[in-house]
Amino acid sequence: MSATQDSAHQSAARVSARRDRLIIAILVFTTIGFLDAAYLTYVHYKGFSALACFGAHSGHSSCVTVQSSPWAKIDGVPVALLGLIGYVGLFVSYFVTARLNGEIGRAMGFCIALIGFGFSAYLTYRELFSIHAICEWCVGSAVCMTFLVVLTAIRFLRGEPVTT
Amino acid sequence: MASRKEQKEQARAARLAREQESAAKAQRTRRFQMFGGVTAIAVIVIVVAIVVSSGGGGGPKGAHNGILKTGTKAERRLVSSVNTTLDKIPQSGTTLGDPNAPVTMQYYGDLECPVCQAFTLLVLPGFIKQQVVTGHVKIDYRSMCTATCHGAFSPKQSQKFFNLQQMAAYAAGKQDKFWNYAELFYHQQEAEDTGYANNTFLTGIAKQIPGLSIQSWQAARNDPALKAQLTADGNYANKASLSGTPTLIMSGKRGIEEVAGTYAGVYAFPSPSELNAAVKQVS
Repeated sequence: MSATQDSAHQSAARVSARRDRLIIAILVFTTIGFLDAAYLTYVHYKGFSALACFGAHSGHSSCVTVQSSPWAKIDGVPVALLGLIGYVGLFVSYFVTARLNGEIGRAMGFCIALIGFGFSAYLTYRELFSIHAICEWCVGSAVCMTFLVVLTAIRFLRGEPVTT
Repeated sequence: MASRKEQKEQARAARLAREQESAAKAQRTRRFQMFGGVTAIAVIVIVVAIVVSSGGGGGPKGAHNGILKTGTKAERRLVSSVNTTLDKIPQSGTTLGDPNAPVTMQYYGDLECPVCQAFTLLVLPGFIKQQVVTGHVKIDYRSMCTATCHGAFSPKQSQKFFNLQQMAAYAAGKQDKFWNYAELFYHQQEAEDTGYANNTFLTGIAKQIPGLSIQSWQAARNDPALKAQLTADGNYANKASLSGTPTLIMSGKRGIEEVAGTYAGVYAFPSPSELNAAVKQVS
């Protein structure tokens, strides 16, 4: 093997390792966000005697205040459920990338993460300035979405190496 | 000097490199175009979601974010609906219902509390129809500072806001219109901790109540007996370590029951069936 070929192989290996790390990070944040949204959805439909929450507000936990607020639903559909669907969509986008079409899968992942990030930012604004209470679970999901929008954007813009 | 074969190979490699570069450039351009398209789609979806969410904002069904303009159709409809609910039910001070009702439900509330708003608008109308109109239960409203006292204002300022708004409602109670005042306040509640419940807002609510003498109401807002009642409510809530608002305490000949609830999927306030079960238990 020539020195040029050797260097090319090493470079390809480095690129591949970076891609693997990126995918792992995306999967980790998607999983955390998915579990977070699943918990909030479960609480919404089944009800807990107390929603685990550190903050207190109006004598209730601050999570209850946020979950009972008008912004906890969009046209009757709980935001937590929409978040859960978003995280499932991110898993599906990963599957599409791996098995069907890389470009479309990556675009889909970025699009979902961007929508999730944008709406999470709006909800955080509402928590701070309209509801005056913070739900840690919602903030947790917003943080996951923030990381995911950055990671999926990098992944989308990097793309795959061109082969001729 | 390179042989002809080597020259051909070099030319081929150069051509491949050019093709590869050109393909990469085309792919990059396509990807950036896609990136722009995807971003535009995402922005549209976010804007639609925010518009739909804001449209549904402002509280449960029937709530208005802020006091309605005098003489508007919406204001007339609200006033009429509150009057229809309370019209034939006796009121005395902060009590709604037959004074001899066998069961009393103490309702600890804060007029700025959004959970109280949801309870008052979603659960209370049905409960009033089923248990209060029929004479089984009377509701006695008590004050407990929660939403008003947990905001950005200093504790002293928050307490001042709380006293001002709760006293305004108690003053309407002097003319046996407390529940009209409280219902109208909850229906037009704004975002808590914003200091919106000032004199203009409170007088605006009072003016919506048919038959309420504004002059007598203004005078009653500083009534020492009402102030003492407000202080006593707060002292009891502190002493009993009530957890929040609304706290609903049902009492009858068979005992006293604090009604916890799971309505709306979270631990917030009792559902109609939980309230009815508590009435049955203490009756």
